[in-house]
Amino acid sequence: MATFRSTHPLIKILNNALVDLPAPTNISSWWNFGSLLGLCLTTQILTGLFLAMHYTPHVDLAFSSVIHIMRDVNYGWLLRTIHANGASFFFICLYLHVGRGMFYGSYLYMMTWFSGIALLLLTMGAAFMGYVLPWGQMSFWGATVITNLLSAIPYMGDTVVQWVWGGFAVDNATLNRFFSFHFIIPFIIMAVVMIHLLFLHQTGSNNPLGLKSDTDKIPFHPYFTIKDLVGFLIMLSLMCLLTLLNPNLLGDPENFNPANPLVTPVHIQPEWYFLFAYAILRSIPNKLGGVIALLMSILILAILPIWHKSSLRGLSFYPLNKFMFWMMVGTVFILTWIGAKPVEDPYVFIGQLFTVIYFSYFILAPVSLKMWDFLIK
Amino acid sequence: MAVSKAPAFLSQLRLTLGRMAYNASGFNKYGLMHDDVLYETPDVEEAIRRLPTKLVDERNYRILRALQYSGLKKYLPKNEWTKYEEDVRYLQPYLEEVIRERKEKESWEKMF
Repeated sequence: MATFRSTHPLIKILNNALVDLPAPTNISSWWNFGSLLGLCLTTQILTGLFLAMHYTPHVDLAFSSVIHIMRDVNYGWLLRTIHANGASFFFICLYLHVGRGMFYGSYLYMMTWFSGIALLLLTMGAAFMGYVLPWGQMSFWGATVITNLLSAIPYMGDTVVQWVWGGFAVDNATLNRFFSFHFIIPFIIMAVVMIHLLFLHQTGSNNPLGLKSDTDKIPFHPYFTIKDLVGFLIMLSLMCLLTLLNPNLLGDPENFNPANPLVTPVHIQPEWYFLFAYAILRSIPNKLGGVIALLMSILILAILPIWHKSSLRGLSFYPLNKFMFWMMVGTVFILTWIGAKPVEDPYVFIGQLFTVIYFSYFILAPVSLKMWDFLIK
Repeated sequence: MAVSKAPAFLSQLRLTLGRMAYNASGFNKYGLMHDDVLYETPDVEEAIRRLPTKLVDERNYRILRALQYSGLKKYLPKNEWTKYEEDVRYLQPYLEEVIRERKEKESWEKMF
């Protein structure tokens, strides 16, 4: 029987995504992170919108405007702390979502996977620019270090850097345009999310066994609306704990100092979610080599569907590869730790060693899969 | 003679390692056979389409049961796990036929 929700031209779009969408029966909690990312994006957009009403993107006023938000704007302190810590939760959910995709072979939905990589890059760009806006010491110097990497581009490098800066250094022009980009990128992310879901809904979700689940599907509502709600409650609780009890845990104390181009902080480092990539960047002694390694640490995800040669989908039935996967996860944790360390012994060697181990996973994993397929043939 | 015993030893080793890998893989604990869990490439899809109805029904039953147990985060009782010796590669003849036909078609298309 045709219902209103399945026939109305506008409502049926929501119906087909959230109500009558056929979903596998056995998707686990690892499948909650997609909706949690949607919640994170909504939270960041709402809090960011209200912050933008009181923030001033000028080098002489930015830092003070953030203090004004924290002290004078009604619940400004809450908006700011939710927005700053919300970024951390965004990246926690992102890395767990991508990890799920890698482990269960969800990358075989290629258009969904590639649009997902685009979303990851867009989010990283937005987060990087957002961190510059308070115009603290780490905001300024982090922006200086990372934008200077563009000078590694052969021939055009210095020109590109000055074009990005809007001048000869990170200054007012840079801050202003970073604010503009930081404002608009979340809406671009929203559009790409719709594309990501469009492609996902062509095939339906993967599941932990990697099998085609068309023989056993249940409607999204009420089973996964309820399950996603539970996920929302858990994440919101954790966010409340962090935001209200220890809001500066993940921040850098250096950012409580206003930006000073004449004073370089002893240890320039990005926020925790970029540390593993920062460690990979610093482990290559050559500037261009480091930049390429930095880019490849993310873009190597695009190789996964192309290098997939195993008979089965995902790693559920490959115990050796499951072990290798968790070693790779441990490697990322160690690289995160290294990214926060100074460039001294023994951290330099450890960073280089684990950079090699990180990239080795993507080469050794397909070989191991093929070997296991041959064994059980 | 030692020389003639070597291939027998190697094939026995291969069998032992194969059985260990099969059991370690874990799909047998859901009552699945190897050909049930093959990733459905276009070749595999066509081979499944050519299966007789009885084999399709048995395959669908095993997959449905496995999905249900996976959702409950349980395995089948141990006595119902698929044994290495009892695993039947029911899809292989059809898959080989499909791949052979595809390669023949591709070689014809290269000619013209």
